[in-house]
Amino acid sequence: MSRTLTVAEMALREISRRRGVLILLALLPLAFYYSRRGEAYWQSVRFVSLGIGWTLSTAALFAGSAARAVEPRLRLSGYATHQLYLGRLAALWTVGLALIVPYFLLIRFDLDNVRHGPVALILLLTVAVAAPFGLALSALLPRELEGMLVLLTVVAMQMLLNPDKAVAHALPFWFTREIGVYAIEHDAGTDHVLRGLIHASITLTLFLTLVAVSSSLRLRRRPHISVA
Amino acid sequence: MTVDDWLAAFAAELRRRRVEPAGLVAEAAAHLRDSGRAPLQVFGPPTAYAVSLVDSLRGATTELRRPPSGEPRLAAVRIVKRYGRSTVLDGVDLSVHAGEVVAIIGANGSGKSTMLRICAGLLTPDSGHVRIRGTIGYCPQEGGTADFLTPDEHYVLIGAGRGEPREQARERGRTAAATLDWPRSSGSPVARHLSGGTRQKLNLVLAGLGDPDVLLLDEPYQGFDNGSYLDFWQQVWRWRDAGKAVVVVTHRLAELDRADAVLDLTPRSPR
Repeated sequence: MSRTLTVAEMALREISRRRGVLILLALLPLAFYYSRRGEAYWQSVRFVSLGIGWTLSTAALFAGSAARAVEPRLRLSGYATHQLYLGRLAALWTVGLALIVPYFLLIRFDLDNVRHGPVALILLLTVAVAAPFGLALSALLPRELEGMLVLLTVVAMQMLLNPDKAVAHALPFWFTREIGVYAIEHDAGTDHVLRGLIHASITLTLFLTLVAVSSSLRLRRRPHISVA
Repeated sequence: MTVDDWLAAFAAELRRRRVEPAGLVAEAAAHLRDSGRAPLQVFGPPTAYAVSLVDSLRGATTELRRPPSGEPRLAAVRIVKRYGRSTVLDGVDLSVHAGEVVAIIGANGSGKSTMLRICAGLLTPDSGHVRIRGTIGYCPQEGGTADFLTPDEHYVLIGAGRGEPREQARERGRTAAATLDWPRSSGSPVARHLSGGTRQKLNLVLAGLGDPDVLLLDEPYQGFDNGSYLDFWQQVWRWRDAGKAVVVVTHRLAELDRADAVLDLTPRSPR
């Protein structure tokens, strides 16, 4: 446990020193929020969560790529693979939680006609899914540019695709729309929340599995080595 | 430069080259006293004079090759590695004992780093196997450090993996850094702001943290100045004296007498 916490602490220190990333991380969702605040306030809730999802996934992508250089050495130094990715995930989730607090407060005081509990749920689930999503991308696409293009594509599709289409259900942040319906439309049933929760759980499990499997493969002890 | 300054610099350089300075310094001091002239006029720069003196005395120094006496720590047997149709390593054997330094040499692309990565377990060979007795410290040729962490944070991170308490890891890291002519400091910048040579010193210090039994060093002296390069070999010999098995990938053929054995990966040359 202490090793995992040490990895988390160092990952947090690394992220906190990327000032440019932190500023973008903090401000980009705000731009998403105000892009829809005027004419379609109900969409601004979903857009701000997509903004948070995108920026946190990007931060995770870069954190995962940067870690590739040092992780083999950490494995040789005695770390287990799961300690490395869980520590990094814990750091990213911490950053995400710190990020959503001001946005939740903004929505709380700026929008009266929404259910604030479900809004908090959307933001929490977005943070939960975005961190392993970015790490999974960094594992599958080692070059950051390729990962960024995939992230851009996902967010653009998330915004443009009709959420009722089946293909939209395969997108990682589809749950934001589903729970958002319940948060905004007062006559909507809780079945939206249930569907959103199921979608977020499946997505989270999928990305966590991807991160675990890809890390375990990359950092595995090779069979030709025997250590006495 | 005063006589005392000159003598101090002369003694330091001799120590760096593992030559006991007392007699030579006393001799130089007597000569200067008798001549009454400035040391720079008589002997020239202290470092250069020490180098020429040590070279002339080299046959009498104790750092020449010595046969292995400890137990086997690393045994790589019939290692084969191919990249596409190109066979980089073709049945290579390597054996390193406790208290032994082995240099791996070869032309560019001959598979030196590949061999080391296979020995570290970071790369899978097409055939062959590696037996390690003990723990591994690995210093890659590049990478191996985190851009946004300070040296102290690196020590804590690696130390935690080895099970060392935070303060102990930090202290041991700083002490090891000082032996590489890198002054102890608590306010060092993050790794990406270190010079190339200093970053490699950090890389080397990290390889030795936690007292590993086998040290695999892939040209770790990139960017070192001459003094740091000598300090590096001092460190290697200290590890050897402490019973570590050390493998150094090097391209500096002139320095091979610093190792106890040599593995030449140059194609078509006898191994």
